Amino acid sequence: MKNSTWLILAVALLITCMGILSIYSSTSQKEGELWQIIYKRQIFWIILGVLFFLAMSRFNYRRLWDMTYFLYGLALFLLFLVVILGLVRLGAQRWIRIAWLNFQPSELAKIAGVIFLARYFSAKSASSIHHTAAKYGIFRAFILPSFFIALPVGLIIEQPDLGTGLIILFIFVAFMYIGGVRSKYLITISLIGVLLLPVFWHVLRDYQKDRLMAFLNPHIDPLGAGYTVIQSKIAIGSGGLFGKGWLAGTQSQLHFLPESHTDFIFATFAEEWGFLGALFLLFLYFILIRQGIKIALATGDYFGRLLAFGISLMLGIQIFVNIAMNLGLAPVVGVPLPLMSYGGSSIMITFISLGILANIARNRTTF
Amino acid sequence: MRIRIVNLIVGFLFILMALAVFNLSVIQGRRFRQLSNKNSIRLLLQPGARGKIFDRNGMIIVDNYLTYDVLIMPQEKGQLEQTLLNVARILDCDTGELKKKFKAGFLASFLPVRVANNIEIKKAIALEELKLNTPGIVVQPHPLRKYPYGSLASHVLGYLNEIDHWRLSKLSDYGYKARDIVGFGGVEEKFDYFLREKEGALSVEVDHQGKFVRVLGFRPPQNGNNMQLTLDLKIQKISESALSGRKGSVVILKPDTGEIIAMANSPDFSPAAFVNKSKSLGRIFTDSDAPLINRAISGLYPPGSVFKLVVASAALETKKINSLTSFYCPGSLMVGRRKFSCWNTHLEQDLVSGIAHSCDVFFYHSGLLLGAQSIHDYALKFGFDKPTSIDLPYEAGGFVPSPLWKRMSRFQTWYDGDTANFSIGQGDLMVTPLQVARMTAVFANNGMLINPYVVQTIENYDVSSFHKKATKMPLKDSTLNYVRQGMRKTVSDPQGTASVLADLNVAVAGKTGTVQVPRGQPHAWFCGYFPYKNPKYVICVFLEYGGSGYAACVLTKQILFTMAQEGLI
Repeated sequence: MKNSTWLILAVALLITCMGILSIYSSTSQKEGELWQIIYKRQIFWIILGVLFFLAMSRFNYRRLWDMTYFLYGLALFLLFLVVILGLVRLGAQRWIRIAWLNFQPSELAKIAGVIFLARYFSAKSASSIHHTAAKYGIFRAFILPSFFIALPVGLIIEQPDLGTGLIILFIFVAFMYIGGVRSKYLITISLIGVLLLPVFWHVLRDYQKDRLMAFLNPHIDPLGAGYTVIQSKIAIGSGGLFGKGWLAGTQSQLHFLPESHTDFIFATFAEEWGFLGALFLLFLYFILIRQGIKIALATGDYFGRLLAFGISLMLGIQIFVNIAMNLGLAPVVGVPLPLMSYGGSSIMITFISLGILANIARNRTTF
Repeated sequence: MRIRIVNLIVGFLFILMALAVFNLSVIQGRRFRQLSNKNSIRLLLQPGARGKIFDRNGMIIVDNYLTYDVLIMPQEKGQLEQTLLNVARILDCDTGELKKKFKAGFLASFLPVRVANNIEIKKAIALEELKLNTPGIVVQPHPLRKYPYGSLASHVLGYLNEIDHWRLSKLSDYGYKARDIVGFGGVEEKFDYFLREKEGALSVEVDHQGKFVRVLGFRPPQNGNNMQLTLDLKIQKISESALSGRKGSVVILKPDTGEIIAMANSPDFSPAAFVNKSKSLGRIFTDSDAPLINRAISGLYPPGSVFKLVVASAALETKKINSLTSFYCPGSLMVGRRKFSCWNTHLEQDLVSGIAHSCDVFFYHSGLLLGAQSIHDYALKFGFDKPTSIDLPYEAGGFVPSPLWKRMSRFQTWYDGDTANFSIGQGDLMVTPLQVARMTAVFANNGMLINPYVVQTIENYDVSSFHKKATKMPLKDSTLNYVRQGMRKTVSDPQGTASVLADLNVAVAGKTGTVQVPRGQPHAWFCGYFPYKNPKYVICVFLEYGGSGYAACVLTKQILFTMAQEGLI
């Protein structure tokens, strides 16, 4: 399974190359030097990401078990820092500026959450060497971990970054399922969650409510919240079977599509490369996720197994939420498309996650 | 088990995404492609100029001049307000008003909205400069009609206005659209299809702010066809200034071809008022004097004594009378139990003097000899009772009564008294001034019934050959000669009804008419031709409630005198 590393790297690089093409295309028409060099920055991040990938694939993932609380604490600390800096600067922030680069702690929180949950659900009971999540009571199966997850999620939603917060919640639910928590708990929790939805609605900020309403009917406000969805659907739809060609997509080139190089890069790509291009991209993502699940299934170590599942699901959920949002099938929440969207934090964390995955594939035979 | 379900869910979600992309880009791809084009492609219409109209000597009657419209692209709110503020400052008007116009004219986010019309060139240049740093302003040149002579020949020309519902429903198959500007009345309406410009368009690609990116295609606008009329501006001007202030019309035409040299109507209107949408517009439509009516072709009046020319020709042609026939005029004639009076006591009258003195008794006798049906038939031969087919819209046909008509529609018997009335052109008979002019031309051109027209060429292509050819009337030369002598004597005889025209340099022949009306002054007619030998022009003057035929003669004299002065005869 050593070639797993190279398969993952090859597929990831192929996707990032398509990302670079789309970023170049969507920013080339924009004025200003900052826009012109943006694809170079992405290349820089990808090179750095590949280095981290190679490093992580040689870094024994079992050490992460020991670092779990450190990583969790670090993520929490950085999230607090964001809130405090936001208060000081009198404005909501998602970034921390370290020297010359902006770092997004919520990205770190995602992978830290995955590691944390993998460790939590793979804990062995004192009496048995078998994993014990199936025997957990409601407190150990749900209340305790949800407290640990609620802390970063609350801070992220407060930033406000509803998308990343929800993704971590999704990962949590998926982990409970994969980790073997009893079905009756899962069902009870889902019911409570559904009942709490109206309460949740009141917590949302106005713009978030607008976005949800616009998701239900984008034509309610075609120039406001619904605008992005409409333009994104037009971009994807107008691509047709073969696309308009690279650098010829009018929706992204002429800036009708907002965030065309970050959250809506899928629409940019689909407009220029058409249905066939989009199908190819989806296929690559599928291979990546499929490979992750394969690695998980082949891993005997329960921590490694859950970690591999968690990373695959984390990527899969992000990919699905982002593309569904591009297609108008999900509300517009700020979720980047892993490996495609412009953004250093996302690229780095994704490559690190894939590195961990590759390492699990390498090391599991030693056990 | 759970892992299998997760596997399934992952596979299912990927298939779902692929299907969703397929749905958008392949199944609905066409629609989205159109929407995408709508987003980024804008059509800027380029109006062309309507065809110009010239007179027979190439003098321009209707011209165009360039004005500029201001259009604004819809854009983000703050930016829009800034743009409107800047535009308002240059146009020197209120921002709120511009905003209102913008809101009222807004159709879709990709269509520019017209906020101001007909701005001056200086302001247009200032706006063009403003365009450099304020996106979304479009200054569009827009040619408009210009009438250098004001209301001159307004009835022949017609005016321009926004298309109405009725016309649109008839013309939409020919590419007319709502809010198009089309001709109303005159040649502007009749030849609208030729005069009308073809709109050009510039399709440009714009970005999300409406900023210009590049030109995709251009179809230049095509100007309408220029048109040359048979009118002579100078004679038209003379006729109109003679007529001014009175109700009536003057028609001057060429007896051999039917070219209309002048067609003056009063009261008239200013076509320019429709271009600038001036406030006096409402009054034009409600005025009881009907200034929009072209009286020369649409006005129906009893012809009075000018109809005696028809009766005289008919009586000669049917041999009821001849040149030696004479009747005694004691000032009246008993027809049945009713006394029909003459306007004077003429004593012994033959045909020539009967025409010259317009003796009613002579024509009562001739008419009674002829019979009503004969008069009716000859009136039809002279072109009455149907339009002359002139190339102007809304021409009336007139009406010629007959015993059969009276029986059929009024259930009454036709009496000799009706015949007596008929033979002096009174009663139910209705004609247009143009029909009278055409009837007069028969005597001027040796018995040809001409078809008058006003349009000579369209874009240098002679269309006069498409008009109906003149037809030979079944009249003997002797008949025409006798009537002509009578017409000449009307002017030359000191007792003639048109003797006031005798002292002109040119020899005129003609016939006057005075139509008694139930209320007010009588209508005044004069129809004639000049010079007597080799007639060049036929003239018909009609004054609505203008007094006796003498008034029409005076007006004719005024016109002919000025024409002679300017060397136009």
